[in-house]
Amino acid sequence: MYIAGIDIGNSTTEVCIGQITLNNEVVFLASTSCATTGTKGTIANTHAIKSALKEAMSSIGKEVSDLDLIRLNEAAPVIGDTAMETLTETIITDSSMIGHNPSTPAGFGQAVGEILLINNLSGVKEGKPYILAVPKEYPYEAVAQIINEISKVIDIVGVILQADEAVLVENRLDKKIPIVDEVARIDKIPKGVMAAIEVASAGQTIRMLSNPYGIATLLGLNAEETRMITPIAKSLIGKRSAVVLKTPGGNVQENLLPAGEIYLKAEYGGNVNIDEGADKIMEAVTKARNIQDILGQDGTNIGNMFKNIRNSMKQIDESEEQVHITDILAVDTMAPVLISGALAGETCLEKAVGVAAMVKTQQLPMEKIAEKLENELNVKVVVAGVEAIMASFGALTTPGTKLPLAIVDMGGGSTDAAIITSEGDISITHKAGAGELVSMLIQTELGLGDRHTAEQIKRYPLAKVESLFHMRMENGQITFVEDSIDPRFFGRVVLLTENGLVRIEEDIPMEKIVQVRREVKQKVFITNAIRALREVAPQNDLKKISNVVLVGGSAADFEIPEMLMEEFAKYMIVCGRGNIRGSEGPRNAVATGLVLSYRK
Amino acid sequence: MTVNRPSIYIYVNNPDGNLLREVYSGIEEEGVFYEIIERNDTELNRLAFDAANDSMLGSGIGIVGSSVAFQIRGVKYGKNVEQYENPTPKQSRIIGANSARAIKKVSFK
Repeated sequence: MYIAGIDIGNSTTEVCIGQITLNNEVVFLASTSCATTGTKGTIANTHAIKSALKEAMSSIGKEVSDLDLIRLNEAAPVIGDTAMETLTETIITDSSMIGHNPSTPAGFGQAVGEILLINNLSGVKEGKPYILAVPKEYPYEAVAQIINEISKVIDIVGVILQADEAVLVENRLDKKIPIVDEVARIDKIPKGVMAAIEVASAGQTIRMLSNPYGIATLLGLNAEETRMITPIAKSLIGKRSAVVLKTPGGNVQENLLPAGEIYLKAEYGGNVNIDEGADKIMEAVTKARNIQDILGQDGTNIGNMFKNIRNSMKQIDESEEQVHITDILAVDTMAPVLISGALAGETCLEKAVGVAAMVKTQQLPMEKIAEKLENELNVKVVVAGVEAIMASFGALTTPGTKLPLAIVDMGGGSTDAAIITSEGDISITHKAGAGELVSMLIQTELGLGDRHTAEQIKRYPLAKVESLFHMRMENGQITFVEDSIDPRFFGRVVLLTENGLVRIEEDIPMEKIVQVRREVKQKVFITNAIRALREVAPQNDLKKISNVVLVGGSAADFEIPEMLMEEFAKYMIVCGRGNIRGSEGPRNAVATGLVLSYRK
Repeated sequence: MTVNRPSIYIYVNNPDGNLLREVYSGIEEEGVFYEIIERNDTELNRLAFDAANDSMLGSGIGIVGSSVAFQIRGVKYGKNVEQYENPTPKQSRIIGANSARAIKKVSFK
């Protein structure tokens, strides 16, 4: 007879097809996976199940109706969600700065002068320094000519261009001066205000304008004004060119948003202020024990964040009861946020906190899914076996494993751990935060436009296309290609996917992406694996665990298992990526367990 | 001994003046030298291919009338890296900038 095991996960639905032979042996025939449709545990899941079943059965030349039994996992009644809030915010009113990295500024040094618009040269005074602002309608020859001409009368000390023509203008000037180009919102620069401009010399970054006292020196500010412009200086660090305007009514603020407190309702509950950082929050969560609910202070960012999580959870959980958050994972992060009032799309790194929360619901309505499937497919469907136990059965098919065994199941929404003793006793735990939190953090820290790019960065290694004939991998290895690489990839950072190269649109150095990706994975998975295992370990002592098998989608990652192996080596634990049935890798553990457990 | 400046070669045949101007402006803005050389050939692919192979930097541009092509040494004949018929001024500026960026190993615009 043919049996299908189906595991509905937060992000992936996995199917395993097995045949029970006449001498009661299990032969595995096929396995497939596809993206889960809808939220885990809802009727919408049936779409993914049906298409995965169809694919699996057709791969062995059979129809879905040939199945004799479908076994669904008793999904753990936990659902994960993620959210992110910035804790600080820089607001610059009256556009008082420009700081950016145009690819080709010209000249170098600093200059201070009054802003003069090229289309309004009236009222200029001799002997006074001026900085000229030029919109892109003026061709570079004309600009150079005008500057050369008026420089005979007045003192032009610097130029701000809207077009990308700084070098072209500078090459035609009699006297060399610093020029900043590619300033998109040049129309916002008011005439007559004092401005300081700086272009770094080759290979360096600006020095004066990224230093509050430097700005104070150039623009003659007093102590109070210097304090006010500190956020400007901070956001100009690392730039190759910058302009700072002294607008009389202008104002810069670095707002500290009311971050708020987290209230833990638990055996050893308490309050933690978000400002204290992720480490303090996690310490409190660990200490709390038997958490019944976690709340955020009303009217604050964290309060709203928890409210949003609760609301989205309520839609799934049909029971009238309150939704309780039973675990969170907080991670410190920095998010580049567009500064309001910026002239050239400048961003400022703001402190932020990412939170994954886990909600314990009533039993998920798995029976309803089973009923619907049975009606639509005309195959008997049963809900069988607790997810973690099935995962353990599946994990045991990895060659080289034996009882007692610990598994860490790293999925999309939660990180689960289970330990089976030699006697068959099982302890299980679920922790908030897994693959989806990693994607969210990658997206925020790199300031990516969409989640899909972040997902891909998480999944694939990087390379930089250095010429049309070779590229450098992130580990330093160089690969040459036979035919020339598509010019669209030239000079770009690309992802090495199974379908060829994928270009990253954002201009971020490869090293930075690698660093963020690795840090985020460590923050989430190492923290969580240790947290989860410690909870199920005998006497909460990690050293009492000897073997750990990593399963789940995130265990298939190209670097997460290695990170965990290194970490667990400190506790003398044998740890490795599972290889279900010796062939499936870390995936399909639960589905395999469901088929296997039919016989028992 | 004469030493050639390392420069991008622009091989031209009866080029459109505005197009040529935008192309070399693009190269100049990127801070790379260029040389404009008149040729008898009217085959755009060959102009670009030869320019790239003759240039010490391995980057060349061919312009015939109002068509422009950009080639890099080592890329097959006829498989131009970029090519335009009747480009806009902006496209012309970009093709020039890209021929320079290819040498600087900076991503294309």
